[in-house]
Amino acid sequence: MTVTTWAVAVAVAVAVAIFAVGAIGVLTRRNPLIMFMAAEMMWNAAALAFIAYARHYHAVSGQAMAFLIIATAAAEVGIGLAIIVSVYHRRHRLNIDEVSRLRG
Amino acid sequence: MFGFYLVGLVAVAAAVGVVAVRQPVHSAILLIINILALAVLYLMLSAEFLAVAQVIVYAGAIMVLFLFVITLLTAGKEEQEAPEILSGQRWWAGGLSVAIGIVLILVLGQAGTRPEAAPAPGLGTLQDLGQALWGNGFLYLLAVGMMLLTASLGVLVLNRAVRANRTAEEVRASAPSEEEARKAVKGGGTP
Repeated sequence: MTVTTWAVAVAVAVAVAIFAVGAIGVLTRRNPLIMFMAAEMMWNAAALAFIAYARHYHAVSGQAMAFLIIATAAAEVGIGLAIIVSVYHRRHRLNIDEVSRLRG
Repeated sequence: MFGFYLVGLVAVAAAVGVVAVRQPVHSAILLIINILALAVLYLMLSAEFLAVAQVIVYAGAIMVLFLFVITLLTAGKEEQEAPEILSGQRWWAGGLSVAIGIVLILVLGQAGTRPEAAPAPGLGTLQDLGQALWGNGFLYLLAVGMMLLTASLGVLVLNRAVRANRTAEEVRASAPSEEEARKAVKGGGTP
C-alpha cells in the first residue's frame, strides 16, 4: 500500500506513546505480572520504531533488528516468569517489594 | 492514512488499559489486543514476515505463558495492591515517564519529513529478512541463539533449585521416622 511520510511519523509517534505508557506501568504498578506485561509493551514499541524506520529508509536491517527484539523478549519472558513463580512459591505474595531482598 | 490513525489509536488505548486495569487477566487480554494492533501496523509498514512472527510468538506463545502463570498464581484471589513503602513513588514515576515521552517526541521531531518512495518489491518478505539475518547480521543471530539457550538453561536451573530444596527438606523430615522404623524392625526380629 502507499505510505506517506506522515504515516511513518504516526507509527513512530504510536511507538513513543506505547513506550511511555509501558514505562509508567513498570514504575507505578506493584504486581510483578503487570509490570512484566508493561515491559513487554516497551519491547514492542522499540520493535515498532525499528520497523517504521526500516520502511522509511528502505533498509531491511531494521526489520532484522525487530526480529532479534522479538526473540530477546521471548527469552526475557521465560526467565522472568520463572523468577516470579519461584519467588511466589517462597513468599506467597504477588508484590514486587518481595524481590527487593533477593540474594543469590 | 486513516488506517494508521485507527490502528494506532487502538494500540495506544489498549496499552493504557494494560497499565490502568486492576486484574492481571484483563491486563493480559488488553495486551493481546495491543499486540494484534501492532501486527496490523507491521503489515501496513510492509513487514509481512514480522507481522506473522509477532502473532505467532507473542499472541501464540508468550501470552499463553502469561495466562498460565496468571491462572496459577492469582486463581480465586482478590487482587489488591499492597501499600507503598516509598512515599511519593507514583508521582516520581509519572513525572519521569512524561519526561521520557517528551524527550522521545523531541527526538522524533528531528527525524525529517522527506517524501516517502515506494519500497523495493521484496522488502519484508521471508527471503529478504533471511538474507539479512544470515548475511550481515549473522553475528547477532548467533548471539540471540546463545541467549535463548542460556535462558532455557536458566529456567531449568531455577525450577530445579526449588524442587531440590523441597525434596531435601522432605528427606530430612522423614529420615528419623525411617531410622525408628528400622530399629523397630530390628527390635522386633531379635527377641
